[in-house]
Amino acid sequence: MNLTVNGKPSTVDGKESVNVTELLVELKVPQAEYVTVELNGEVLEREAFDATVVREGDAVEFLYFMGGGNSTFPKGAK
Amino acid sequence: MKREFRLDTLLIHGGFEPGPAGATTVPIVQSSSFAHDTAEDLEDIFRGRKVGHVYTRINNPTTESLERRLALLEGGISCIATSSGMAAITLAVLTIVRSGDEILSSASLFGGTFSLFRDTLSNYGIATRFVDPSDLEAMRAAVNERTRLIFVETMGNPRLDVPDLAALAAIAREAGVPLVVDATVTTPLLARVKELGADIVVHSTSKYINGTGSAIGGAIIDCGTFDWRRKGYPHFEPFVKKFRQFAFTARARKLIHKDLGACPAPMNSYLFSEGIETMALRMERHCDNALRLAKFLAAHPQVAWVNYPGLAGSPWHETAKKQFGGRFGALLTFGLADKEAAFRCIDGLRLAKNLANIGDAKTLVIHPASTICADFGPEEKALMGVSEEMIRVSVGIEAIDDIIEDFAESLNII
Repeated sequence: MNLTVNGKPSTVDGKESVNVTELLVELKVPQAEYVTVELNGEVLEREAFDATVVREGDAVEFLYFMGGGNSTFPKGAK
Repeated sequence: MKREFRLDTLLIHGGFEPGPAGATTVPIVQSSSFAHDTAEDLEDIFRGRKVGHVYTRINNPTTESLERRLALLEGGISCIATSSGMAAITLAVLTIVRSGDEILSSASLFGGTFSLFRDTLSNYGIATRFVDPSDLEAMRAAVNERTRLIFVETMGNPRLDVPDLAALAAIAREAGVPLVVDATVTTPLLARVKELGADIVVHSTSKYINGTGSAIGGAIIDCGTFDWRRKGYPHFEPFVKKFRQFAFTARARKLIHKDLGACPAPMNSYLFSEGIETMALRMERHCDNALRLAKFLAAHPQVAWVNYPGLAGSPWHETAKKQFGGRFGALLTFGLADKEAAFRCIDGLRLAKNLANIGDAKTLVIHPASTICADFGPEEKALMGVSEEMIRVSVGIEAIDDIIEDFAESLNII
């Protein structure tokens, strides 16, 4: 499945569609608990991630509000 | 199934995994800015498409580790560490209010907060109504269409009153405004303020979180509980649209915190992360010592009165017992005959330090009326519970017999 992710071509191998929660995992999106997801220009509610399906040709944007911050020291105790 | 760690464990492990070379304390990333491989990388970070550090005023890996731990401890969705507790209050409030808005605040406040609300913010068109937070009817009656937040301390400093947070949270919900709670004095260990209804929590991390009086800092925790789409918050609209439940943090991070620049130094963030690991043990000792000293002072013939919520005679004892899990904090105040006697008592102490701070491992005293509250008139002093004969004690974790002997010897010579 071919997508446009943050303005660049991206591929999810072996699947014709995934929901947004699965896509976050497939694409190893960092700090997924903070990310805002736009699908074809529409901001998605977090509660809708499971029920929203991403298909061939869709444009997805992952956006962060932090203006900095990464996973240098990842969250959570093991 | 992933196990949920208990609070005492989160103090030590929350928000942290081993760093470079297996380091078990958070590395101090003492760098003002962060380089990126390509121009596009940095563009993506600025556009919010990618996570990455830019500049320590905006965020820093050491500070971020502290923020994750504090958010976990309060059960919040995010945290912003700041350069001081006052910076945390200023940033939290300015994220919510605009010129023409009002704050409904407890009248029993730390002097710095009182001054911020009454003197500084009023110059920018933000008015504050100060009301006794124990008078729930008066609090409810003081809400009007301009009220944008209710502000309260878990335990008023130095009045040491204990407002009923759940009741105040109900008033805030009814009014459609967030409840902002300063939980510095009780720490996340004594008061679970999110569960009691707080929407935003602020801390001075300089106190019990640091624990040793070695750094100044603050923190804002967003509990993620307030709906910023409510009437009266149109300035949140773009942030709600894009960042939903993170609207408060997004507005704070992208505007107020970034623009005012009150960021913590990485070294200080390290000191708070280090201090917080021992907070559970320290708080137990702090609270035990405070109760013992309060009982000693209450029985002393030179002492006119003692104010400590852990004493059964305190008007706030029952509320404190209900809210703070049977512990009552480590601040107490007591009165002597007059100001002169209070001064003589402070001068006679050999162990306790006379200084303007609380929450240190060391026992600290101060005469509030002539120092931290000196700029306030009699009316404000009364609201804060400050009188001329009063000494405030921040009880430390030294051997309690040494603390008691210090006060006993000093009281004997006044």
